[in-house]
Amino acid sequence: MLGSAPCSRSFKWADLPPRLLQDWPGELTNGELWEADLERQQLEEDQQISSWLRRVFRVGEGQQPLEFRPVPLPSGEEGEYVLALKQELRGAMRQLPYFIRPAVPKRDVERYSDKYQMSGPIDNAIDWNPDWRRLPRELKIRVRKLQKERTTILLPKRPPKTTEDKEETIQKLETLEKKEEEVTSEEDEEKEEEEEKEEEEEEEYDEEEHEEETDYIMSYFDNGEDFGGDSDDNMDEAIY
Amino acid sequence: MTQAEIKLCSLLLQEHFGEIVEKIGVHLIRTGSQPLRVIAHDTGTSLDQVKKALCVLIQHNLVIYQVHKRGVVEYEAQCSRVLRMLRYPRYIYTAKTLYSDTGELIVEELLLNGKMAMSAVVKKVADRLTETMEDGKTMDYAEVSNTFVRLADTHFVQRCPLVPATENSDPGPPPPAPTLVISEKDMYLVPKLSLIGKGKRRRSSDEDATGEPKAKRPKHTTDNKEPIPDDGIYWQANLDRFHQHFRDQGIVSAVANRMDQFTFQTQTSSEIVRTMLRMSEITTSSSAPFTQPLSSNEIFRSLPVGYNISKQVLDQYLTLLADDPLEFVGKSGDSGGGMYVINLHKALGSLATATLESVIQERFGSRCARIFRLVLQKKHLEQKQVEDFAMIPAKEAKDMLYKMLSENFISLQEIPKTPDHAPSRTFYLYTVNILSAARMLLHRCYKSVANLIERRQFETKENKRLLEKSQRVEAIIASMQATGAEEAQLQEIEEMITAPERQQLETLKRNVNKLDACEIQVDETIFLLESYIESTVKRQ
Repeated sequence: MLGSAPCSRSFKWADLPPRLLQDWPGELTNGELWEADLERQQLEEDQQISSWLRRVFRVGEGQQPLEFRPVPLPSGEEGEYVLALKQELRGAMRQLPYFIRPAVPKRDVERYSDKYQMSGPIDNAIDWNPDWRRLPRELKIRVRKLQKERTTILLPKRPPKTTEDKEETIQKLETLEKKEEEVTSEEDEEKEEEEEKEEEEEEEYDEEEHEEETDYIMSYFDNGEDFGGDSDDNMDEAIY
Repeated sequence: MTQAEIKLCSLLLQEHFGEIVEKIGVHLIRTGSQPLRVIAHDTGTSLDQVKKALCVLIQHNLVIYQVHKRGVVEYEAQCSRVLRMLRYPRYIYTAKTLYSDTGELIVEELLLNGKMAMSAVVKKVADRLTETMEDGKTMDYAEVSNTFVRLADTHFVQRCPLVPATENSDPGPPPPAPTLVISEKDMYLVPKLSLIGKGKRRRSSDEDATGEPKAKRPKHTTDNKEPIPDDGIYWQANLDRFHQHFRDQGIVSAVANRMDQFTFQTQTSSEIVRTMLRMSEITTSSSAPFTQPLSSNEIFRSLPVGYNISKQVLDQYLTLLADDPLEFVGKSGDSGGGMYVINLHKALGSLATATLESVIQERFGSRCARIFRLVLQKKHLEQKQVEDFAMIPAKEAKDMLYKMLSENFISLQEIPKTPDHAPSRTFYLYTVNILSAARMLLHRCYKSVANLIERRQFETKENKRLLEKSQRVEAIIASMQATGAEEAQLQEIEEMITAPERQQLETLKRNVNKLDACEIQVDETIFLLESYIESTVKRQ
């Protein structure tokens, strides 16, 4: 009995609940051995797992019929912590600049607003700064100067990794809003927060507007696809 | 690389870095070393995308490059390193148990970013720790630095190979790619930095000390303009050292399971073995078959402070351990009160064998396991002998043997009596070849993990709409709570998710958690088997 073999637990006959002792058939095959070792609650839970496994994953219906139930997974503080850590890491890695999303597919008709609405890095530039001295020279992507300015301008718009949840969810809300009914109270909340965010952005744009070669703020180039969420300029209008 | 490994690598890369990096990475794993243009041509991706992907892969130590003649740079992927991504949570948790939250965050930052400079790590970790502390408290850089130094001293983090200092007298054009070098003694050398400062909070609701307006929050890019004192010195997590730690943990728990159940004093033998392993941590390389010999006197002196066993008792335990048929501990001499070594290779072999036995027991039943252990012990057995020794009826024994044979746990050895190999005049002996059985099981493990990941992704995709909806509702509730809303309004929002939908979400969450937990569990088995196979192959 060594290693991490989960089935090799020691047990005493006296620990068995009396019900099981009465039902004990002669042979000790594996399926019954581990059943006998557990308390009744856990036994019932395992039976639940087993039927759940059979129902959901259709375990045992494949090439090899499953004769014995799988041993329960290790639970407890360590197991749960590592599990939570794993899921958190997965989420975190998606937000890092190393996660390269494929380019947004071109729309059917090119629109003027496309020029001012960039969702990803321009000209395949990298979002992070590797140490170019360590990499082969051929990997360095030449970025044109004009567009380099653009990257710095649009950086504030793209939320950095450590942005608050509010801002992220606001963006999500904007895109998903048109799918669901709106509740007036939540709308007001959103408007307030959008305003805050827009204010921040606008202040940052103030200094850089003249470099953009346009007299309009970015929300001017909204092509109406996010209708209903961006009317922060006209707070006095009634919302229907 | 087997198909199963490639498939698993593909899934891991896609989950962590996206499809473009996955395409390039898998292509390199399949085809070996290739230059940039060939990769772009063969995969059909644009040159820029390939460059981006390669930068990410090199940053994370998954791809290395080499300059060949005529200035061509070729890129090679490291498949085994990609598979390590499965084990990241375990590394981070180990760091937490050894060096608490600070260590945990340091290792996490290093793993998520591939390689980082020490000053950058310290700053980031201090900021993150400050976030979690109470209002008004901050984390000092010095404390984080200390933990970093300790991690380096115990070899858990190591320096990346460096760009060699360029000589100004070099007349030729600069090489297309630098050749990175690192010397053994420099690998754990921490540069003398005086990092002074405290972590900063990110919350904009706090009043900044300098009273800057919200909009003029400093952007990340401005920080890079200051010269970093340890420029060019990058650190990475030393995965081999973690593996050594896991291996030690496995051996100690094996000894505990075997020996310490029957003693009154809790865990003495495992403590002794743990002490011996700790003493050999730095002196023995991780791939050595056994540790350096340690004298009984040394061990006695190095036992943890709380242990009050006498010298004679220690000697008795050591003799007991050395005589044990598992041969974890061996006696190599008599000087100094007895010289003892830990047989690392044998220990790994025992652990791998135990894993195989456990798999057979769970899959086929305890009778099959009995037969397997029998054949393992007796090395070669005929059909009749198996039935006799195992005390199992002939029909059942035959059935079980053939089942295990078909799954390649057991193999058949033919010994002909006559030169014409006639079947009636040939001995057929059942035997267990642990190395090949371990390889087969490892292959199955890779397939299992790939299946688990795919199933998890499928489950998530099926319920994508529902997940998005629930995330949105949570966000709305959170923002409403933050700005103070009435109970009735919150109730109304919560009801946007109907009861059956809630049930569905519950089920989804439970399924995903189970699948994740399974992945972690299978990875532990993968580690054991890989360690054993590596140790065996090195000895041949």
